[in-house]
Amino acid sequence: MKIAILRNTLLAALFVLALPRIALADNVQLRMSWWGGNDIHRTLLDSVRRFEERHPGITVKTEYTGWVGHLERITTQIAGGTAPDLMQINWNWLVLFSRHGTGFHDLRDLDATIDLSQFDAEAMAMATIDGRLNALSTSMAARLFYFNETTFAKAGLAPPSTWDELLAAGPVFRDRLGPDYFPIDLHLQDVIALTRSRFVQETGKPLIDEAGKRVNASPQQLADMARFYQSLVDAHVTPDVRRRASYGHVAPHEMRPWIDGKFAGTYQWISAIGKFIDTLAPGQRVVLAPYPMLTDAKDAGLLYRPAMMYAINAKTRHPRESALLMEFLLNDPEAVQAMELKRGVPVSRRAIEHLERKGAMQGLSVDGFEQIEGLPNAVIESAYFEHARVRDAFIDAFERFAYGRIDADAMGQRLHDDLNRILARTIR
Amino acid sequence: MSAKPRPLRRPSRQRMSAIVRYAILIGVGFLMLYPLLWMIGGAFKPNHEIFGSIGFIPQEPTLDGVIKGWNTSTEYTFATYLLNSFKIVIPKVILTAISSVLVAFAFARFAIPGKKVLFGLLIATILLPKSVLLIPQYLMFREFGWLDTFLPLYVPSAFATEGFFVFMIIQFMRSLPPELEEAAVIDGCNSLQILWHVLVPMLMPAVIAVALFQFMWSMNDFLGPLVYLSSVENYPVSLALKMSIDVTEATSWNQILAMSTIALLPSLLLFFAAQRYFVEGTTVGAVKG
Repeated sequence: MKIAILRNTLLAALFVLALPRIALADNVQLRMSWWGGNDIHRTLLDSVRRFEERHPGITVKTEYTGWVGHLERITTQIAGGTAPDLMQINWNWLVLFSRHGTGFHDLRDLDATIDLSQFDAEAMAMATIDGRLNALSTSMAARLFYFNETTFAKAGLAPPSTWDELLAAGPVFRDRLGPDYFPIDLHLQDVIALTRSRFVQETGKPLIDEAGKRVNASPQQLADMARFYQSLVDAHVTPDVRRRASYGHVAPHEMRPWIDGKFAGTYQWISAIGKFIDTLAPGQRVVLAPYPMLTDAKDAGLLYRPAMMYAINAKTRHPRESALLMEFLLNDPEAVQAMELKRGVPVSRRAIEHLERKGAMQGLSVDGFEQIEGLPNAVIESAYFEHARVRDAFIDAFERFAYGRIDADAMGQRLHDDLNRILARTIR
Repeated sequence: MSAKPRPLRRPSRQRMSAIVRYAILIGVGFLMLYPLLWMIGGAFKPNHEIFGSIGFIPQEPTLDGVIKGWNTSTEYTFATYLLNSFKIVIPKVILTAISSVLVAFAFARFAIPGKKVLFGLLIATILLPKSVLLIPQYLMFREFGWLDTFLPLYVPSAFATEGFFVFMIIQFMRSLPPELEEAAVIDGCNSLQILWHVLVPMLMPAVIAVALFQFMWSMNDFLGPLVYLSSVENYPVSLALKMSIDVTEATSWNQILAMSTIALLPSLLLFFAAQRYFVEGTTVGAVKG
């Protein structure tokens, strides 16, 4: 009896294991592209080899680069119809390549191969255009506040947890540590994200009204964003543009004052904070601070979005095999174990469970992930907020204001008009 | 007795002025070379030391960056990428030199109908941004089946596509006396024989300048290989160096600096070898003889 059961289960197991192999065509060659750094290249190459071992009929040609130029490359490939079968894409590229949702393969067609139930509905909604699921995210990202605890301790302060504490830290830094010390370093790009977060906390609306093809803020409200930035500069909370420019065109995490702790904070993507910690001079500690909230805010105004995603070429000849590879990279314990938290906390529930079992769910990225989970976060910003033209309009206006070329009111009016013009043209 | 100090004083003043001159020259030269020295020094520094100090002498010298950089994070070593670079650059330089001289010869010495318009068009291509041509050219090479090969990167240079080089050689040719060619015609040379036996020897400085420029530009070209080459095994150095620069991961600059140093060596050697002609060549056409 026992033996019979055992034999039956064995047979069933064999059958289940053998099934996908029978169904697949022999000698399929897939192409996969991604961008990343050294660690990512090694990890993904290794995972792809394991995938090939498990599916002997499939070979995967890997085409990977650094971040620089990847968008140009993929743009020509998509325009030329030579894009790889499986590609890593950035979330805001969806509006470039798949305006009506047909730019990439609809993953709901492939739900027999990819276990979509492992993915958060909200994350999937952000990649769904006109009802078609275009991509799956590896991990989610948002900007959070990180502070250099060591420098704050020198100033006799704890990292700030409210807007008021942040503003109050500036004068303390100046008086106790000297004029070269600042509680937070804000690049103009960070300033825009930070003032947007405050705008959402105040109004409960996203900044870009995608359906209306316009900006959701009045010129007055945009001017207030500039004024808030000015109050940060005036209170010695963040270095002004001139001081920042004096360090040259250097990435923020490679700037000397960040390395030796004089700029003691950053408003940074959860997925990018790792490199800020790597460049710190030894003996310093960076911690995640509670997200500052206005007292009556109903939403934190996080810039919450997929950090990076996998999509399948709409014109691929092997959608099922591509989906198998995607499923392997996102959900399979072997690939998850190899990737660990190198790309942040994964979205896939099964991946998180696996990492929890292995005790790998710890560190700053997990802290950030938990903070995001705990914050009111219903307002989803439009992907057009990150559109190159929109970003340029913001930077242009903020730059003019920051260098004192125009006042806050003129800046608000100008930005308002520019944004509406750009949005009316680009959202189609 | 009184005549004795005189001959002594004069050389000493000369020596003083020489010392001052050389001190200034060495000082300025050192300043100019500092970034290069820093790069070489950086190759032997551990990563955290690179941003910490401005000095170029590593405090804790290590070969880590060189070894890891050479092995790269890919399936191939850096040697593959260096070799790929040469597979692109060498045919490109040769084709550019030949085609540019031929086209320049036609423009400088022949009466072609519509020459002024054609020359204007040639100059206009210098002003055309390369990115405009990217997608049409990509589609064209796709139809040829040349994608992911080196062909799209060097075959176009066989058609004198670098207007700047043609222009430079034309300017140089204009300074050469036509009497020599007339003499060659009397001796029975045809046009190509004139070009080869009379003009090319005189054009050598300009041709070497063209070759050197093209060599350096092609070594550094990033966009072309990025778009046309999809397989990692075909990447040249310019692409390989940027492979490890990501937005989320801290960059191992020591590896990149080490490989940059290695990648720079061929350019440096070539430049020193051809330096005499190069300097002569870049100033051609500046003064008409």
